[in-house]
Amino acid sequence: MRAYLALVSAGFRRQAAYRLALVSGLLTNLFFGVVRTSLFLALYQARPGAAVNGLDYQDALTYVWMIQALFGVIWVSWIWEFPESVRSGDFVTELTRPGDPWLRQLAYELGRTGQLLVFRSTLPLLGAALVLPLALPTTVPGALATVASMLLAVVVSFEVRYLFGLAAFWTADFRAPFSIAFPLLWLVGGFTIPVDYFPGPVRAAAEASPLSAMVMAPIHVAIGWPAWPVLAGQAAWVVVLGLVSRGGLALACRRMVVHGG
Amino acid sequence: MAELARPTGGGLAVYGRLVSAGVRGRVYRPGWLLVRTIGSGLIILADGFAVALVVDRFGTLAGWSAPEVVLLVALSAAGQGLGLLLGDRLEPTYFSELVRRGTFDQVLVRPTSPLAWLIATQVEARYVGRLLAGVGMVAWAADRSGVVWSGGHLLVALLALVCCATLVLSICVLGAALTFATVEGSEVVNIFIYGGVTLTGYPVQIYGSVLRFLFVWVVPFALAVYVPALVLLGRTGPPGLPAALIWVSPVATAGFTGLAALGWRHGLRHYVGTGS
Repeated sequence: MRAYLALVSAGFRRQAAYRLALVSGLLTNLFFGVVRTSLFLALYQARPGAAVNGLDYQDALTYVWMIQALFGVIWVSWIWEFPESVRSGDFVTELTRPGDPWLRQLAYELGRTGQLLVFRSTLPLLGAALVLPLALPTTVPGALATVASMLLAVVVSFEVRYLFGLAAFWTADFRAPFSIAFPLLWLVGGFTIPVDYFPGPVRAAAEASPLSAMVMAPIHVAIGWPAWPVLAGQAAWVVVLGLVSRGGLALACRRMVVHGG
Repeated sequence: MAELARPTGGGLAVYGRLVSAGVRGRVYRPGWLLVRTIGSGLIILADGFAVALVVDRFGTLAGWSAPEVVLLVALSAAGQGLGLLLGDRLEPTYFSELVRRGTFDQVLVRPTSPLAWLIATQVEARYVGRLLAGVGMVAWAADRSGVVWSGGHLLVALLALVCCATLVLSICVLGAALTFATVEGSEVVNIFIYGGVTLTGYPVQIYGSVLRFLFVWVVPFALAVYVPALVLLGRTGPPGLPAALIWVSPVATAGFTGLAALGWRHGLRHYVGTGS
């Protein structure tokens, strides 16, 4: 256990080294946040005070800035490090180290995303809350539930990224499967517009998918949906995707051939 | 080797052969290239679909119907596809690799223009998918919003496509020029490449004065895409940005391209390499 905690801390410190990346990431979040805020303000102007598919304009603005807070911890900048290490063969050394390779990587990435959550996610969210009427939780349990939901989203996103990374065991062009799946994830996950606006059946399908646990769940908790059912759904997906990605790793290792000495 | 040793006839033919060699070098798995080409188009279709859905749910966006807003998304997407086809590899994330490894030093000793060599050898064929998906979406949106395809309107659509692509390519060149100084890649350039195109996907009147000024008169995406769209849709445009400004679009685009060229020359003249 202590080894995993050390990995979490190492990941946190490593990510802290990228100051320029942090600044440019924050600028990017600010820019897209402002553009999306303009969009939703203009849309709701035509219907003042009204809720559209359960979201009023405060909820929509919260969605905009929660997406900016989450984007960098879901599609992390180091997304290709794992498959690159598989392709180059460096991943073999991971298998010779003590402990569980999947858990070690999870611990390390939790440290890295933890640093992003502390610096990159909170700043745009708090900054926006100062100037815009966001619907963020105002009670301690509400805030804790939102943080817990964001952490679960981080673990789900690790598992989803891991599944895409596993493609490197089968093809050197491991980005191709991702490039064809990403548009669907982008749309159905709710990165571009809230899943709540989708027509009924599509919305139901999106909310039953693991993408919901990754993107919309923390947003729904933040705008005041009952937290326990959402958190339970996320926890279930953490377990399911964990088993699937670990199974995938076991399968990959069985067919892996190590060249050279 | 025999093919390389053949006299090339000089001029543009050299670049044509560099493009073909570069693309063939990347097509080592044609199936996967096809998959990535489709992927690069699908992402734009997903964006267009989402915009249509959300505008439809609310009725209008600043007085624009869903197909009219999709026309903006489609024109900028097609232009971005064309621009990134040529300029994607100049983005700081990739270009900093060439500078750090000293690969760029080798480019300098070749008997071609360094910038033209970089663009010609690194064409990203998969962005053809985005260009085609964008053009398809333009056709759909124009049909739904009642655009009449007269010869003049075709020219206006082509002007928007070329101006938007030129702006995207110019930003890529500026990003590369910046990388001469920073060496490490920075993502800030992406704000202008992807952000600029996202921003022109919606009617300009929804933005505050700062964003509007920035994207009309500094990085003139609004002149390149929004104003031509006004002409296609037969709209007069908001105060300060009338459809009559269509004549300024190519001029502003050329001006920005000139700035990018100056930036590149300045960067190149001060380039000292990173040592070995």
